[in-house]
Amino acid sequence: MASKYVGLFVLFQLLALNVLSQISAFPTPTASTDVADKTVYNRQLTEERPLQEQIAEADSVKAAVQSAEGKRSTASKGAESEQDLDDFTVLKSLADGQKSKETTELPLKKEGQYVPDESDSTKSRRLTEDYDSTKNGMDYDDTESFRQVDGTSLTAEDIVQKIANKIYEEDDRGVFDRIVSKLLKLGLITDSQADTLEYQVAEALQDLITKNAKNNEIDDVESNDEETRGEQEDQGSDTNKDTWEPPSRRYNKDEDDDEENDDEIEDEVDRDAEEEGDDKANKTWDKDAEEGNEVRPEDGLQDLQYFPNFYRLLSSLDSDQDTQERETLITIMKTLIDFVKMMVKYGTITPEEGVSYLENLDAMIAMQTKNKLGKALGPPDFTGPNGKNLDEDDNTKAEAAKMQKEYENLKDSTKEEQPSTETNQPGKSETYLEAIRKNIEWLKKHNKEEGKEDYDLSKLKDFMDQQVDSYIEKGIIAKDEGDTIKRIYSSL
Amino acid sequence: MKHFTSLVLFGAAVVALVSAAGSEGEISFEYHRYEELRKALVSVWLQCPTITRIYTIGESFEGRELLVLEMTDNPGTHEPGEPEFKYIANMHGNEAVGRELLIYLAQYLCNQYQQGNETVIDLVHNTRIHFMPSMNPDGFEKAASQPGEIKDWFVGRSNAQGVDLNRNFPDLDRIIYINEREGGANNHLLQNMKKAVDENTKLAPETKAVIHWIMDIPFVLSANLHGGDVVANYPYDETRTGSTHEYSSSPDDVMFKSLARAYSIYNPVMSDPNRAPCRKNDDDSSFKDGITNGGAWYSVPGGMQDFNYLSSNCFEITLELSCDKFPNEDTLKSYWEQNRNSLVNYIEQVHRGVKGFVPKDGDYWRLLAPGNYKVAASAPGYLTVIKKVAVSYSPATRVDFELESLMERKEEEREELMDWWKMMSETLNF
Repeated sequence: MASKYVGLFVLFQLLALNVLSQISAFPTPTASTDVADKTVYNRQLTEERPLQEQIAEADSVKAAVQSAEGKRSTASKGAESEQDLDDFTVLKSLADGQKSKETTELPLKKEGQYVPDESDSTKSRRLTEDYDSTKNGMDYDDTESFRQVDGTSLTAEDIVQKIANKIYEEDDRGVFDRIVSKLLKLGLITDSQADTLEYQVAEALQDLITKNAKNNEIDDVESNDEETRGEQEDQGSDTNKDTWEPPSRRYNKDEDDDEENDDEIEDEVDRDAEEEGDDKANKTWDKDAEEGNEVRPEDGLQDLQYFPNFYRLLSSLDSDQDTQERETLITIMKTLIDFVKMMVKYGTITPEEGVSYLENLDAMIAMQTKNKLGKALGPPDFTGPNGKNLDEDDNTKAEAAKMQKEYENLKDSTKEEQPSTETNQPGKSETYLEAIRKNIEWLKKHNKEEGKEDYDLSKLKDFMDQQVDSYIEKGIIAKDEGDTIKRIYSSL
Repeated sequence: MKHFTSLVLFGAAVVALVSAAGSEGEISFEYHRYEELRKALVSVWLQCPTITRIYTIGESFEGRELLVLEMTDNPGTHEPGEPEFKYIANMHGNEAVGRELLIYLAQYLCNQYQQGNETVIDLVHNTRIHFMPSMNPDGFEKAASQPGEIKDWFVGRSNAQGVDLNRNFPDLDRIIYINEREGGANNHLLQNMKKAVDENTKLAPETKAVIHWIMDIPFVLSANLHGGDVVANYPYDETRTGSTHEYSSSPDDVMFKSLARAYSIYNPVMSDPNRAPCRKNDDDSSFKDGITNGGAWYSVPGGMQDFNYLSSNCFEITLELSCDKFPNEDTLKSYWEQNRNSLVNYIEQVHRGVKGFVPKDGDYWRLLAPGNYKVAASAPGYLTVIKKVAVSYSPATRVDFELESLMERKEEEREELMDWWKMMSETLNF
């Protein structure tokens, strides 16, 4: 049971990053992300080596590794000293010996850049500058290099920390993917090591986020939170220093996880429950909310009323033996909501995005429940998870009911007509229904925004009927599909 | 039951978290067979009926519709001043990634439009974008029907008649190269070809349909999606001397390089200078910054890309998007992520160069790289007008032309002469 939490929290962190990266705005032609990519790639050599050291059997390499304190190195521009280059050549030769045939090309190409000329110190300076020029003026950020100030290599923790920092700064989870895929491709780490690394990085990143969240807190920091966060950090570093246990893979529905993490994780869950108890985060949400933010936070459970499908799922679990399950689900859901709130608060996403995200979540729950449990939770909720439609209450509810009826009818009728593609049919009608619903919603919203009167439903209906007919004629849609679409529109 | 419900939530959370952000959740990343493709396009249309329209340019050999979804603010007509753009994929039926990407792209743009994405809204309002996810639906069915995960390198590539559609287009390169040596036109060769095309029995139905499409709609910019490698390829595809590898530049080589780069730059795999070749013995020495000249890579006669350019001055490049022609379904999402920004940015390239109006005759576009140009507008029976233009990277510079026909000019001159004569006679009293 608790092992699921492991997976879930890993999931949260990892997918949070995914979310972060996907929500970014359109890149401009001069986006620095490309440049960042280049620097990551150009630093291929330096990145590989420290990790290689972990798995290398060479004693000389091991001796060169000093245990670092886990603090970030802050070397200034062009600080590479002669000693660095010496160490570098040692490591390079070691690395070369261990690299596979395929990858010799890469270091060979780079060798040209890195030939250390000990006789002339100015030459080494210039190399660094050449190196810098690939960044198009970006500041030399030593968090990218995998060396300490004194030229020694970093330990596993440092590397993890560095990667986490980079991801946090660039707000791009793709950084990790790029690094790991390179390493995997070159055979420098195994799949399970990649998993472990992912786990470590995710934890480190979570620490970072909470650390920074603490620093950025607008309200008075309650000692409560500090303690809990402090504890969380300790927890994180503890697990970090643990032996490498393979983490549960993302999306792995068979959650065979180690039991050892149970205690720690349960503590985390309890702490989360405590956190939800206080309204602080909620207050901040209110403060930062712009108009149009529909999720009205009160305390705890009231949040969840805006997720009707989730609520239904909960109510379907009202037997005694399901209480724990219920609690679990509530906790998970609240964590998700808080997570979204935090993202909005820190401006990672806009409130509108947060709302639509949560709306989608609810819709997903309905779908997943149906798929997994083989039944619907109740009439699928088309009016959206929030109080938005309270004004047009009766109207939309009636529409929703109609649509639901329609849906039921469709299910039956299409099943009769085309038994051969039966499995597809309900899915298809659903998709069409879904698409039409989105269009209607958009029209409503669009017309409201532009101050126009409500869109002319009958005109739209006529237009769609016409189009459908012409499409049937041209063979773009089948007759029964066309009828379905017409029927949906006429029921609006 | 216990496990089920938390699995449900888990699954829902997973899917929602992964997908809801940025509306990616409304796209399901799986392969679409013909029926599914059709339905997916219909769904996009149902969701965005005011900005989309589905049409078909003809049927494949086995009778499947060659479906196109157009996206623009007033679908169904060419609006003066609105350039035409197209994406075509899957002309090789077993090169499946492009086909899927175009479906996802259509869904994505529709979603983004409704969510108020300004860039997308502008693009849709100012461009007429056509998506043809599959030019060879018959081939795709054949490729997709293979059992097991590993798909053969060739099965499903050609159309149902066994014709490789990307070698089936009239070879205009050959004519151009002859004209270069002996004098003659190097563009718009299609004007004399309509009859020849209709009577050509060697053309597959898919090829013919596309040629008619090109003749009907004045496409300005286009891209042709393939698989089997990762690079953006630009004209000319056929080498001048007929050798297998030779850089064969077109008169618009600078512009084409810029266009190809505009795609590759946003695709991290394509533009990765350290990317290993797809297969150990591949020769990718012509690839630079993720782009390559067609002839320099290998000579392709009768391809669609060059045909577009030489027949109607539609600038087309060929995009190879995946080392695997028909990769595993669970890789589709990552291909989408690699290509999404490139796909959108490439459409925006259509708004470059010069464009304008010629009264009574209509509108025109000419893609040009930044620089100073003399633009000449001419037509039979009209006097040529030349204007000097400084072209920036973007947006397109507007240059209108008023063409005066020879007849008009002669009339004017005659009238001027008469007026002068009249004035002279009045003054001098004769």
